[in-house]
Amino acid sequence: MMAFYFSRLVEIFPFFLKGLWMTSQIAFISLATCTVLGFVLGILRSGKNKLIRWIIGVYVSFVRGTPFVVQVFIVFFILPEWGIQLKAFQAALLAMAIMGSAFICEIVAGGINAIPKGQWEAGTASGLSLVQQLRLVIVPQAMKVILPPLVGQYVLLIKDTSVVSVIGVMELTRVGWVTVVRIPEGLMVFSLVGILYFVISYPLILLSNYLERRMAV
Amino acid sequence: MIEFKHVNKWFGKLHVLDDVNLEIDKGEVLVICGPSGSGKSTLIRCINRLEPIQEGEIVVDGVPVHDKATNLTKLRADIGFVFQQFHLYPHMTVLQNVMLAPVNVRKIPSDKAEEIAREKLIQVGLTDKAGAYPAQLSGGQQQRVAIARGLAMSPKIMLFDEPTSALDPEMIGEVLDVMVNLVSEGMTMCVVTHEMGFARKVADRVLFMDMGKIVETGKPDEFFDNPQTHRAADFISKILTH
Amino acid sequence: MLADFNFRIIFEYLPLFLEGLRSTFFISIVSIFLALITGIIACACRISPFKLLKYPAIAYIEIIRSTPLLVQIYFLYFGLPTLGVRVPEIQTGIIALMLNSGAYIAEIIRAGITSVDDGQIEAGVSSGLNYLQRMRFIILPQAIGATVPPLLGQSIVLVKDSALLSLISVMELTRVGQTMTSERFMPAEAFFTVAFFYMCIYFCLKALADWSQKKLIFREAY
Repeated sequence: MMAFYFSRLVEIFPFFLKGLWMTSQIAFISLATCTVLGFVLGILRSGKNKLIRWIIGVYVSFVRGTPFVVQVFIVFFILPEWGIQLKAFQAALLAMAIMGSAFICEIVAGGINAIPKGQWEAGTASGLSLVQQLRLVIVPQAMKVILPPLVGQYVLLIKDTSVVSVIGVMELTRVGWVTVVRIPEGLMVFSLVGILYFVISYPLILLSNYLERRMAV
Repeated sequence: MIEFKHVNKWFGKLHVLDDVNLEIDKGEVLVICGPSGSGKSTLIRCINRLEPIQEGEIVVDGVPVHDKATNLTKLRADIGFVFQQFHLYPHMTVLQNVMLAPVNVRKIPSDKAEEIAREKLIQVGLTDKAGAYPAQLSGGQQQRVAIARGLAMSPKIMLFDEPTSALDPEMIGEVLDVMVNLVSEGMTMCVVTHEMGFARKVADRVLFMDMGKIVETGKPDEFFDNPQTHRAADFISKILTH
Repeated sequence: MLADFNFRIIFEYLPLFLEGLRSTFFISIVSIFLALITGIIACACRISPFKLLKYPAIAYIEIIRSTPLLVQIYFLYFGLPTLGVRVPEIQTGIIALMLNSGAYIAEIIRAGITSVDDGQIEAGVSSGLNYLQRMRFIILPQAIGATVPPLLGQSIVLVKDSALLSLISVMELTRVGQTMTSERFMPAEAFFTVAFFYMCIYFCLKALADWSQKKLIFREAY
């Protein structure tokens, strides 16, 4: 029986590849969005304006304090009530962007705050504008602190894309879920799903470990 | 008391101890100096086998240190070691730092061990700090606690690895004073240091190392005033000028 | 939109929410406890010199860390019955959370142990303390201090992760929100209430983590 199911699984393997492709798309788009948004928010959060810092702080606390699956439900079920119609794929990307940029914002703010005040002062003293100070002096140094946890966060974000399967986006986990109804070999089906996730996230884990070792010196 | 016979040691390709032969007598005070990377710290770290050696033999009080059958616990319990960076246990009070090994290695009952510990703290001039944590002490005080920690085991030998190099200048004196007192009690000591004043005052012998070799040995006054080799003369002129 | 917020229905469902909250508490506490044990064992194997212990531990940790928790949950939920193991969903969920957090905790403990300065070990060696004594008196007390804040951080993650058990119909906090949504179709009321309860747990644990960060980390003073 197992051999039979295995050959069925091989037959529908292209279906899994489609799921992998969808997962990669969501991951890639949201990683890019989250990085840009996260850096902007992180720089603002480490800035001087108290109101902006407070607003971002509330947003970050909300995201960090609630499960991602609840956030997905909020985006998917509540926005339409308020008149914003989203397809599942769009809702998934929006939820990922909201969640991911909050975590990246904290990493970036942490990295910038780790730079001694003297570096800002040296920048000011040599007549650099605020943006120049950030771009030429602060951010390049902060990258050393930011990069290892950032790559670690990417791994978490890729894995979190599995949660958007709950609103019906046909990505890898959803493909597994749909398949297991027809091929009742849970271990086999979800091992395959697991392996496909492993293939994309493990290289990033290795990269993150490597960066951590290198940046520690 | 301590004997090195043709000791060789490599860190990878680097020859850190190059055919070292040395004898240290009971009650002798030996000062070891030399440029950084010369192997002087490695030399004393071999005495209690913090470092392995590849060739030769080290015998301490009749015990071959690098023999497999040697009871290392016993050997190390009899040798006090003071580190450049103190390495006090940050989660324990001063008193607990000093008592830890007597209670757990020597198996001395804790009330007796506390008595010994307090006595040693008096000896290093820290009567009122027994309940403090290391982070609450100055560098000089921490190093004196570290010395008391070594002494509490009633060691036969005390080894000092640059005990004053991590200290602010104004604290060096208080640590050296404690060490000078130890000398007057007849302790066998090996001290890696560049403190010339200390060496002149109490050392029986000064040993100069460079690139893993013992280059020169002599009485302190002879060594500092009239070095026999270029390398030693060069080194002395450098530590004098700063 | 806030004007439409129906507090009456929240009060109507409040007993159910509290029941869900209790269930989330129960699942989290049991799972974190089991995960701690799993993590300690996995870490002990991971740092042991025996290859037969070390490599399986590495495989376990790396597999868990590179696959999503939801996939691990489905793996057990759909997989255990094919092995003939039939347990209630809540137990499946707790096992999944235990295995998942256990791997992260193993790495947290390992980082705590390696964070203890080598000089501390040398100081212990020099005064003749043996391996077990060094572990007990010098390394573990300091490692535990360094480990508590990230362990509390992992507890926060675990509480939030337990929300995924709603997807295998475990009646916990998030599931209550789903139930209310399908019965009354008031998703805003349902999920903002759910979010509120999670935030309460989050702020308590976060305060505890920040406090322990200040209190428990011993630094070698130079």
